Amino acid sequence: MKRYDLIIVGAGPSGLSAGIEAAKKGLRTVVFDENEKPGGQLFKQIHKFFGSKEHRAKVRGYVIGQQLLEEADEAGVEVVLNATVIGLYQDKEVVVKRGGQIEHYKGNAVIIATGAAENMVTFPGWTLPGVIGAGAAQTMMNLHGVLPGKRVLMLGSGNVGLVVSFQLEQCGCEVVALVDAAPRVGGYGVHAAKVARTGVPFYLSHTIVEAEGTDCVTGVTIAEVDNAFHFIPGTEKHFDVDTICLAVGLSPMSQLLKMAGCKMVDDPKKGGQVPVCDPHGRTSLPGVYVAGDVAGIEEASSAMIEGRMAGIAAAEFLGYIGKDEMESELASLDKALDGLRQGMFAPQNRGKQITETEEGIEVSQNLLLHGYVADDELERYPGVTHKAGVHPVIECTQNIPCNPCQDACKKGCISIGSKITSLPIVVEGSECINCGMCVAGCSGQAIFLVDEDCGDGTATVTLPYEFLPPPEVGTRGKGLGRDGKAVCDAEVVSVKSMKAFDKTNLLTIRVPKEYAMKARFFKAV
Amino acid sequence: MNSVNDRSRDIGPFLPGPDDDMIICRCEEITKGEIRQAVHDGMWTLTEIRRYLRTGMGLCQGQTCGRLVKGIVARELGISPAELEPATSRVPMRPIEMEVFANEVPEEKEVGSYED
Amino acid sequence: MKTNAEVVIVGGGIIGCATAYYLAGMGAEVIVLEGSDHIGNGGSSRNGGGVRQSGRDVRELPLVMYGIRNLWPNLSEELEVDCEYHQDGNLRLGKTEKHREILTKLADSARGVGLDVRMIDGDEVREINPYLSREVICASWCPTDGHANPLTTTLGFYKTARKRGVTFVTGEPVRQLRVIKGKIRQVITPNNIYEGENVLVAAGLDSREILTSVGIDIPMTNSLLECLVTEAQPHMFDQMLGTAEADFYGHQTKHGSFVFGGSSGLERYNKDNGTPVTSSKTAPCICRGIMKYFPDLAKVKIVRTWAGWMDASSDGVPALGAVEEIPGLYVACAFNGHGFGIAPAVGEQLAKLILTGRTDVDLSPLHYDRYKAKI
Repeated sequence: MKRYDLIIVGAGPSGLSAGIEAAKKGLRTVVFDENEKPGGQLFKQIHKFFGSKEHRAKVRGYVIGQQLLEEADEAGVEVVLNATVIGLYQDKEVVVKRGGQIEHYKGNAVIIATGAAENMVTFPGWTLPGVIGAGAAQTMMNLHGVLPGKRVLMLGSGNVGLVVSFQLEQCGCEVVALVDAAPRVGGYGVHAAKVARTGVPFYLSHTIVEAEGTDCVTGVTIAEVDNAFHFIPGTEKHFDVDTICLAVGLSPMSQLLKMAGCKMVDDPKKGGQVPVCDPHGRTSLPGVYVAGDVAGIEEASSAMIEGRMAGIAAAEFLGYIGKDEMESELASLDKALDGLRQGMFAPQNRGKQITETEEGIEVSQNLLLHGYVADDELERYPGVTHKAGVHPVIECTQNIPCNPCQDACKKGCISIGSKITSLPIVVEGSECINCGMCVAGCSGQAIFLVDEDCGDGTATVTLPYEFLPPPEVGTRGKGLGRDGKAVCDAEVVSVKSMKAFDKTNLLTIRVPKEYAMKARFFKAV
Repeated sequence: MNSVNDRSRDIGPFLPGPDDDMIICRCEEITKGEIRQAVHDGMWTLTEIRRYLRTGMGLCQGQTCGRLVKGIVARELGISPAELEPATSRVPMRPIEMEVFANEVPEEKEVGSYED
Repeated sequence: MKTNAEVVIVGGGIIGCATAYYLAGMGAEVIVLEGSDHIGNGGSSRNGGGVRQSGRDVRELPLVMYGIRNLWPNLSEELEVDCEYHQDGNLRLGKTEKHREILTKLADSARGVGLDVRMIDGDEVREINPYLSREVICASWCPTDGHANPLTTTLGFYKTARKRGVTFVTGEPVRQLRVIKGKIRQVITPNNIYEGENVLVAAGLDSREILTSVGIDIPMTNSLLECLVTEAQPHMFDQMLGTAEADFYGHQTKHGSFVFGGSSGLERYNKDNGTPVTSSKTAPCICRGIMKYFPDLAKVKIVRTWAGWMDASSDGVPALGAVEEIPGLYVACAFNGHGFGIAPAVGEQLAKLILTGRTDVDLSPLHYDRYKAKI
């Protein structure tokens, strides 16, 4: 039977990373993926990633996908697409369906990197056409160029729900409500804030009562729930929608490991049934490894590190590197992964209610309840300062592992320090030159350049703008508050677009000066 | 012994619910009420439920409903979902046409494989 | 939890559940102990669903025929589940003259004990089942054979036995039996000691090790057999099908899917990892086998494959009945892959045997002590 040193199942971020690492160390490596395009979910991710430079922060997901493919190609990884692994048998035998036939392969080692599948929730009408997973919506929009619907209700305020809501708006859909049964927003506050400021209302402690329609979705009713998740009568709200998007979590796709006889464990913190494995992906079956979401739901950034770890572990298992080399490489990856697993959203904090930042500042409750920091909460954060002339206002209020902003500013105006989760501060005495790199470089779209008093009763606000086409200079409209409601008149005075901004346009609007700290989005009227 | 081993444990009577006719397993069109009733018929493991009702036995092999069924059964038994072991996974991972499954590539003709 | 009963049954498969059901119907107190976490987790839920007489050994035929006449027709009503029992005949197919010989011999011996089974030619086969390929040149035809759903039938016996007050405990693997004062008495698991006036061992292949603890040996070996199931299709036919060399069998279920079992020739030697796992070679082989008989099914999708251990005895028929040398002990094992169709009859007859000492069908040809050297 044809044999490889390493067979990897799944060409997503973890599988490709594993393949690159292993092939670089001399392993004859093949990656099978059932899709016609590699990259897993990466090519659907049009937003900039969080993290640090070494985690490819502020690079858009699909670009990371392209980079990984190039690296895999250089390293000599064979990536086989349209190849569905239908079974993992004894003796690490992998059976692959390709075209009209099946092929048998054996791996001296096997890495399963099959990712995850979307969860569903039930409510009357959940089987109607028009009820779709958020990931499916993303596939339609970003891979196939198909609009999922015109008016959409999103259920789920985790990062997937938030990111996809924003993308739906970018595509021209109207997101009529973002709903979550939980009492607080689950995803990053900055993701929530960029959705809220476009005018999407958040309904926390709400869930779907019923999807309406006979042949397809024509409407939806939501209602508030109490602590026991029971509906509170009289709180029903109705929306006319053609699409209901569900972003209610992911489940590891661990079937291949189960059928191969790996020891499994049900771990709600990891998203469901996962293989029992050590921190570097070794399962209970010698030579079988896991990496990425299949071993526990996390982000693409950690999946890439896990993939590299499994690739290195497999290289040592097969004698391509020594134990010492493995251990030193794994130690540095451990550190990198640990860096990503810090902050308020770290795995160990899942389910915990965090009331204070690492700096001891009270967490914005309005952000958790409504998706945006309230005007009266904003001033307590270290990124929000005031001075004459143009200066950055950093509305980053939660400890997340992300620091591109401090490198973005060549003038040293922004500092995070050595701890990657610290809130960014505006460095006292530094001089802002209004270059806009911080605005474009913030993956959370949370940095604004504000001139609070231009001397003529107006102020200017420069904001990140990722909608196409951008308005022309001179366009008049409304300045929207963080809640997405019109607060003042506004006029576009500048639209900047540069290669270094990586497709984030910088819109500068002129508003009455009392709205300098209130207007955060622009809508033409 | 775990909480589903003693099949004589009293789990109370079956009480009809307002959403009993909601479909849970889409592939096989099994409702919530059928699943709850099966628990009261003595089907206390996800494996038994699936053999008794066919939940998760259709084209998606439980990818969609596995988690939902688990929640319903656990609630009916008054235990945590984590106490219920998910049903086994079987080859093939994706449905495969008989003529394709039958068509094994002879070894010397295998494609997409490594060449020294 | 009850640990003491008139009858303790070791094994929660269809044989154990059916016997418990009939025993409880006769007023006995029963405990059933199942080693795995699931009722019916062995061959009971892994077989192809045949309820047939044709091709069976004459020693077990009377029992199967008794069940098909007296028990199967009303089983769905009794068990309050849809057993999906179809009595639409069995075609045992032949493609070569050698096959014709095998089938003719089997049919002749079955007629000897009163079974209506006869040889038909290829054209008549296709009149009964027009989807069969031209390669089929003959078949034995037994119109009273059929098929049923092993999952709902097994769990139906469990459900109604439980309703009749039988105590079921799963995750309770029996390690040892104990004779006290010359009679069987204790059934020992890692968690508990159960006591019964009568003990029935119906634990498939595991029966051998369990019985060893009281010095009884049923010579058995295992074989790892495989089945597969397709997506649902529009209704095509109702017969049960098999082949002369027993290398392929199956039927279309009420649900519309086809359940097929088959042999790669390697099942006696295929290895497992402690659970019955499929081999990469078998399902493709079954698919090739099916397509030779049913070219129309080539595009139908397989959704699942599975394996199960068969408990095989040296002479191909079960060990069934009282172990007279240990009063109170009964066995029912080594069903050789024929345990499903025969189960209602086995359960009912064993219940009568245990409680009254008498049976309607003579079980002596299946006596546990029958294994003798060849010379």
